[in-house]
Parts: sequence; C-alpha cells; structure tokens
Amino acid sequence: MNDQPTILVIDDELQIRRLLEISLSAKGYKVAHAATGQGGMVEAATLHPSLIILDLGLPDNDGQVILQDLRRWYSKPIIILSVRNAETEIIQALDNGANDYLTKPFRSGELLARIRAAIRLSEQQSDQPIFTFGPLSIDMVNHMVKKSDELIKLTATEYALLCLLVKNSGRVLTHQFILKEIWGYSYMEQTQYLRVYVAQLRKKIEQDPARPSFLITESGIGYRFGE
Amino acid sequence: MTKKSTIEKWLSRPIYSYLLAAGSVLLCVILSFHLAYSQSYHLVAFILLLLVSFLSTFLSTGPILLASTLSAITWNFFFIPPNKTFHIERTDDLLIFVLFFAIAVINGIFTSRVRMQKDLVRQRENRTNALLELTKALSGAGTIEDILKVATFQIASQFRTSPLFLLMDLDGNLNLPELPHHNGETALLSWVLKHNTRAGRHTPHFPESAYTYLPLYGNKIKPGILRLEQPQAFDADQAQLWEAFLVQIGNALERESLNLLARKAKFLDESDRLYKTLFNSISHEFRIPVATIMGASDTLLNGQYSPPMQSELFHEILTASVRLNRLIENLLNMSRLESGQLALRPDWHDINDLFNKVTSELKTELENNRVNTLIAESMPLVRMDFGLMEQVIYNLLLNATQYTPKGTTINLEATHANNQMILRVHDYGPGFASKDLLNAFNKFFRIKNSQTGGLGLGLSIVKGFVEAHGGTITLENHKQGGACFTISIPSENPNMENMPVNDDEIQRDNTSKI
Repeated sequence: MNDQPTILVIDDELQIRRLLEISLSAKGYKVAHAATGQGGMVEAATLHPSLIILDLGLPDNDGQVILQDLRRWYSKPIIILSVRNAETEIIQALDNGANDYLTKPFRSGELLARIRAAIRLSEQQSDQPIFTFGPLSIDMVNHMVKKSDELIKLTATEYALLCLLVKNSGRVLTHQFILKEIWGYSYMEQTQYLRVYVAQLRKKIEQDPARPSFLITESGIGYRFGE
Repeated sequence: MTKKSTIEKWLSRPIYSYLLAAGSVLLCVILSFHLAYSQSYHLVAFILLLLVSFLSTFLSTGPILLASTLSAITWNFFFIPPNKTFHIERTDDLLIFVLFFAIAVINGIFTSRVRMQKDLVRQRENRTNALLELTKALSGAGTIEDILKVATFQIASQFRTSPLFLLMDLDGNLNLPELPHHNGETALLSWVLKHNTRAGRHTPHFPESAYTYLPLYGNKIKPGILRLEQPQAFDADQAQLWEAFLVQIGNALERESLNLLARKAKFLDESDRLYKTLFNSISHEFRIPVATIMGASDTLLNGQYSPPMQSELFHEILTASVRLNRLIENLLNMSRLESGQLALRPDWHDINDLFNKVTSELKTELENNRVNTLIAESMPLVRMDFGLMEQVIYNLLLNATQYTPKGTTINLEATHANNQMILRVHDYGPGFASKDLLNAFNKFFRIKNSQTGGLGLGLSIVKGFVEAHGGTITLENHKQGGACFTISIPSENPNMENMPVNDDEIQRDNTSKI
C-alpha cells in the first residue's frame, strides 16, 4: 500500500468532479478523474486506483457497460454515484459487480463513510475467521456468535445468512443474491422467506431489533451488514 | 312464413296472377256444368261470384277485372239459354247478367282496394317501426363508434346496403379512412361539403360515380358525409324512410360531436389552469431556496465571519438544497402519477423497515416532535411497493412536522385486520378546518395562510400512490385532537408453506467447544 489510497472519479459533470475532488482530498485521498467512460477505463488501467466512483449516465457509453468492462479485470471496490434511482437500475448495477451505490443528490458524509467501509473491506481480504462488529463477534471456525460475550443460539439457516452478510460486510447484497446463496436458484423470488429470517436474526443479534444497527435494509434492493 | 312469401312473390308477377284468375274461372265453369243441368244455371252465377270475391282477397284490380269479365261472358255463353251463344232471350236473364257483371266488378275492385289500403298501412307501420328501432338504438349509443355501428346495422337491415360514414373531426376536417379512393372521389366529397347537396349515382350531380354521397345534417353542425352503395334508386316509400333515417343519424352524430367538443373545451380549460398554477407555484417555490443558497454562499465568499456564523450559513444552504430536492422529488412523482406510467413493483416487506427508513430520513425535521411507532405484535409481512409507500409515509410525516407545534407527539401505527393493512399517521396539532378535510387531497391544495412552503402536491401524491396499491386513504380530525390519516391497503398473508426450514442449532454444546 502506498501512503494514500487513490480514488478515480468517472463522472461527466464538472461540478460533481470538482466537489468530489475537494471533499475527498480534504480527507487525505488522492483523486483522479475522467469525464467519459473510455477515459475512465484508461485511467483505471494506468493508475490502479483503490476505489472507483462511477456515474451511470456517461456521454459515450452506458455506465452499466463500463461497469461490466471494468469488472473483467478490476477487483477493487466500485461505488455507483448516479441520479438514476430506479430500483431495477440499482439492482442491475449491483449484479454487474458494483459494491455499493448512492443516488445524487448525496451527502458527502454518507459517501465518505461508504468509501471508508469499502476500502477497509477490500484490504481486509485476508481469510481471517473471526469478525467483530462492536459488541458482536462471529467466529466462523467454531461456529460461534457472541453478543457482549454472551453466546447466541442460531439455527443453521440464520447462521448461514449471518455468515454471508458478514463476509460481505459493507456491501449491498441483493435479495436475489442472498436467496440464491442460502436456499438455491428455485427460491430467488421468495423474498418473504428472507424477510422472516432477517427479522428472526435481528431479534437475536441487534440491541434494538426495531432499529437495527448491524443488519441494514436497503429498501427494495437488499441488505447490507455494517456498523 | 317463407311459404307465404314465396306465394306472394309468385303472385307479384302480373302474368301469373292473370293466368290464375282466368284459369280458376274456367275450372269453375267446367266443374259447374253438372250442377247447371241438375239444379239451375242461376246457381252457377252465385258460384262464380263467390270465386271472384275469393280471388279479390289476394289479387290486384287487373286480374279481378279479367276474372269478372270472363265469368260473365262464360256464364252467358255456356249457361244462359240459348246455350253456346251470347244471345240472351229472356229479359230477366239479361237483367241478372248485367247485375252479375256489376256485382262481380264492384265487389272485386272494392275488396282489392281495401286490401291495398291495409297493405299500405302495414308498410307505413313497418317504416314507423324501423324508424322507432333506429331512434331507440341511437339514443342508447354513447359514443360516435356506437352510433356508427347502430346506424350501419339498421341501414343494412332496412335497405340491404352497407353505408360508409366519413365524419368531420373536432377541427372541422373530413376524416378520410384508409380506403382505395376512386378517381375524383376527393373532389366529389369536397363538392358535397361545399354545396351541402347530395351527389353521385342516382342524383343530378356526378351521376357517373359508383356511389351516392349524402351530406349528414344536424341542427348546428354538419357531422359528415354518408357514402352509399346503391345499385337501384329507392322507390318512393323507401326514399321517405331513408330521409327520416338520415335526419335521425345526423342528429345523433351531431349530439355526440357537440358532447366531445364540450368535453375537449373543458379539458383544455382545466389543463390550462393546472399549467398556470404549476408554473406560478414552481417558480415561487424554487426561487426561495435558490435565493437562500445564492445569498448565503455569496455572503460566505465575500466576508470574514466567525465560525458559528459561517456554520449557520452553511446550514441554511443545506436546508435550502434539501427543500429543493424535495420539490423535484414531488414533481417527478406527480408526473409519474399523471403520465399513468406508474408501474408497481410489489414485494414482501417488513413494516418496521418502512417506518425506520422514513423516520431516519426525516431525523432533522423530527427533532422537535416525538414519534411513537406502534406496530401490532402479530403484524405479518406486507406486499407493497416499498419506494412508493416510503414516499407516502414520508409526505404524511413531513406534513405532520410542519403543521404541528413543537414538542407534540406524532403516532405512527400499523395494524392488520381482514386482509387489510392499516397504517395510521396521527398528530396532535390543530387538525384541519372542516372544509379543508374534503379538499386536502386535491392537487395544489394549500391551507390558507400556510407558513410552510410547498406546491400542495404532497397529499395528492400520497393519495395517488395509495390508490395505485388498490387502497384507500381517509382524513379526519381525531377525537383527542389533531389530524389522523388512515391508509388501508389490501394485503394477504404471505405464503410460507414451502419454506425450507432448518432449525438445527449450530452449537451442539457450547462448553465442549470452548
């Protein structure tokens, strides 16, 4: 790792690029930018940034296509920052390999938090078996989940769901992805099963299940695990 | 029926009816020879009179005259002595012969005339019935298409021809259907329109044309032209009925066209009003936050201010931009509703998620109120479009924060009964004036002297989105004070029957592991 992580911003709006440059460099990131999809691809290949912020509405090529092209070789986090807020568009971007998305207009604080989480996650790729989130610890070797040092009893399905979310913490997992991973392809439309298990899991791991702080709902899209 | 009509048809050919008249008289004469010899030849006269009377019930005047004359002559020739001569010897026989002839003729002609009059009445009755039927059917037709359908059907059944209607559109241009046009048809049509006179086949104008073109008349407007394929000109009776048909159809078309015009005018008027309101309020509503942003940032750029003052200005900018964003969001939602392109994406959701999402989004606005979230213990998952319902609760809650005094409580409730999800947003503010209760969901409705900005779209969006879910929303002032919005949306319980359950616990025994 170099001293400072580089972030590449691919967005055709000059004002947005300027704004991001100011707020990101203020937080110690090096910022590079491109106004077109093609320019972005070139920058990404030469700079190897730690993270890419990608707009979906680019002048030369659809952002979803750029995203797919990038994902052929680029494995670090990509965050979508777009005015397109249709759920289908967001789900497609996540399925195409985006780690996260934010819709414009956005709050810089929120964006910075997402960037931090994504970079930390990608650097944490070591195969460590124990994850801790505040009072919660998940030991994947011994199949043990503890909240404030107290052992929590989970069913096999609840545990599988928790592990999937924890291993992808900071990342938005779509309903379809989770359903496929836990129950298999034929259950991909059965969102209600997932909701039931999420509610059960929240009762066990959250301090206040009505206001969850770990297992966060991304409405209409999926779930994200984080602090 | 069919048998009678074939006989009638047969009789309508004059040659056959004359043959029948002559034949039956001759047959009767032959059959009467025996009677004349055994009884009296006067009897034969009565039989022949009876025959002529009988024939006159269904034959026309010509054949009856033939039958009368023929029977008089044959009676004289064969039966009045001396036989086989036309000579009549006795005076009383001569008198009887003359009387016979007179009675036969008068009887025959009168009977057939009475019959003809009856036929005439029947024809008139048929015409009246046809016209009545047309009028009835036309009065039941609610649209131009219905009127054309009815008219085409009635014309086809009365005149055995299928008409083509060429109608004027609302702008007064003739609508020509995609048909292979005959040479000069367009010119002919414009001639008919210009002169308001019929033209084409069987008329003095353009008689070489394949069709007859008739202008349709209304009282005020000319609804269009009727094109008729009419191989033979109508006879007098048909023509009379046809004129009546044209008047009825023309009037019906005029009535509906005028209706359409009135509706169009009303719609234009309404959309013009909407357009004006929208633009007035948009420019006003946008200017305020934009002015705030411009003013605050300009101030920050051009002066040295203490950090607390700077922070205050930054907050003003943020608040103004949030307000701008909300305006855009509401305008977009409104246009989604208005365009009718609102595609619902329903899925199973936890009401808890919905309430959480909205309250966390409105965290700043809710600082001065206490939100009480009450979700029924047994609340099942609910099938809904999360994004739309989020907007619904967001708008209701935001309204509540804007119109209630600081420190009051807002209740956010969710229950489930009879396959209905019931959501309630209940505040403890001043509530609505009773006349506003009715209008609150109208587009651009604002409470008089409202202190807060806004386009007055929020509640109409709420209503639209709830209705898109097949639900209803009601507003009332609660007994305990404050406004209370109640949403109910049909919602079955989710199907959990096929859910694979694996309830094995992951830790067999925690002590053995550690």
